[in-house]
Amino acid sequence: MLDVKGLRKEYGALVAVRDIYFQLHPGDVFGFIGPNGAGKTTTIKMLATLLEPTAGTATLNGIDVVRQPEEVRPLLGYMPDFFGLYEGITVTEYLEFFAAAYRIPKAQRAAIIENVLELTDLTVKKDAYVETLSRGMQQRLCLAKSLVHDPILLLLDEPASGLDPRARIEIKELIRELGAMGKIVLVSSHILPELADFCNKIGIIEKGELLVWGAVDEIVQQLQANRILEIKPLSEPEALIQRLEREPHVHGVETRNGSLYVHFAGGLEEQADLLASLVHDGYRIAAFREESLDLEDVFMQITKGEVS
Amino acid sequence: MKLRTENPLLRYQLFGFTVNRWKRQPVLYTTVAVAVGLTYLLVFQLIAYNEAGLSSALYLCLFMMCLVAPLMSYNLFSLEYEKQTWESLALTRLTAKEILWGKWGAALMRVGILTLLALPILLTTADLAVYVSGSLRGEHPTVLEPTTNLYVFTASVFLLFSWGALIVSLGMWLSFRLKRTLSTASTLYAGQIFVLVMLPLLYVIFSSGEMGDDTVNSLVSYWDGFSWWVVSFFHARIIMYLNPFFTASQLGTLATPYGGWWTDSWTGGSYYDGLMFMGWGFAQSFVYLLLAAIFAGLIHRGLKHAWRK
Repeated sequence: MLDVKGLRKEYGALVAVRDIYFQLHPGDVFGFIGPNGAGKTTTIKMLATLLEPTAGTATLNGIDVVRQPEEVRPLLGYMPDFFGLYEGITVTEYLEFFAAAYRIPKAQRAAIIENVLELTDLTVKKDAYVETLSRGMQQRLCLAKSLVHDPILLLLDEPASGLDPRARIEIKELIRELGAMGKIVLVSSHILPELADFCNKIGIIEKGELLVWGAVDEIVQQLQANRILEIKPLSEPEALIQRLEREPHVHGVETRNGSLYVHFAGGLEEQADLLASLVHDGYRIAAFREESLDLEDVFMQITKGEVS
Repeated sequence: MKLRTENPLLRYQLFGFTVNRWKRQPVLYTTVAVAVGLTYLLVFQLIAYNEAGLSSALYLCLFMMCLVAPLMSYNLFSLEYEKQTWESLALTRLTAKEILWGKWGAALMRVGILTLLALPILLTTADLAVYVSGSLRGEHPTVLEPTTNLYVFTASVFLLFSWGALIVSLGMWLSFRLKRTLSTASTLYAGQIFVLVMLPLLYVIFSSGEMGDDTVNSLVSYWDGFSWWVVSFFHARIIMYLNPFFTASQLGTLATPYGGWWTDSWTGGSYYDGLMFMGWGFAQSFVYLLLAAIFAGLIHRGLKHAWRK
């Protein structure tokens, strides 16, 4: 389990990360969302033991990331947002280098490298020189390198940045697979649709502060206390608007493209009652649906667009 | 230093680039190898035919070391920063010592190879070369006075290696601190020109050519020689006495002390003795190696601190 307790990083007067708390369990794929400069990379670097926090700590399976960096490093895999690869060697040699650097016994290396190449779909490129790989393949190789020592925590900083659509999809599939393998995966991104598909938990950071974190569904539910209902009437909407404004759970009605958007404070029961009463009163309704929140809506509702 | 049997970084630094580049660009590398080989033979022949002395040969070797040693170290750490590979390396289980040894050891081994390549050139200046030279001209070979001795030869080799070691260590440290390859390379070359040319020139101008020979002449024991070195570290003449080219020139003096092959009358006299008491050549080598070790120590400390190793 990854337990982050009050992690804080200050650069002089600037507070880059402000007392962050969250917990992740095996199998969690955590989307770390925030605008550029919000503190995502700083947080990840602190978790990766590359940066010493000003205060707070984090433990990975009980091992202190701050006090025992050498002990925790074999347990984590890190893929930075800007990364380079050693050139002049083949993909297999590159992975052998890291396998040796992680002290994997020689006898086991070939099998591990084969597995990792298969997982990252790089088997066909095993004899290719590192610098000849496309950006997407280099990204996968960097991920493969982070997996040779079988870490329990993967820290992926903007793993899909600069990739074409196909490579993005492939990386997403790979991350999903890693989560299914029981690894804790922390993925940062400022491109929300990228994360929406495969994260079961998210954290939104802005100006160094973790504004919200938890299961995606729970956060969406919390934010949907004030729902928006889209109602498409067949007749002129004026009478219907007046009728809706008399309803106790309705806080406002907007008209856009012939549809009414109703700010509704009630739950599902009240929604059903409203629809039934409208139909009973003779209003002809062509469409009645709740506008669902996606990750972008959640992000926009929570953040103010500020950086630290 | 505990060295593990397997250090992938050392292996990569030594062979990682070379083997694959050789495979990928065989024509280019064969051409370069042939050109270097021919130049090497040409130099070898020039020295042999012109019966050049040890100093001249050592100047040449030192000059080559000054040119090549920075190339062995200028990007050792800066490339890690520029290509953003240092974080991946820092997170492995390699210790700070292993990372240091992986890079420093590879650079030192290359300096060692360059020194080995210089051995035949240095040996050519000894009496054996004169003998061969006479034979090649179709003259009757003459056994001449030795033009070198074991002390001078060993000191020359040490001097060459230790200067190379100092340059690669300084280069590695600059590469670690500056984090920029171009800045490191330019600082190394400009620094060498400043220390080896500009400073001695300024010293000669402002000291009216006074080199402290009188004090060297007066040395009568190894203790005197040691004291002389200690005092010299607080004197501007150290600029000259730690200069490897000046050291090489005086090693030439030591090579032909009492009647060189070009004159039967010259004797080194007390100046020769003074240089011997100073451990000439070895003392400078020791200082270079000490400085090299200090730079390596600074990098080790930096790795422990900045890379949290």
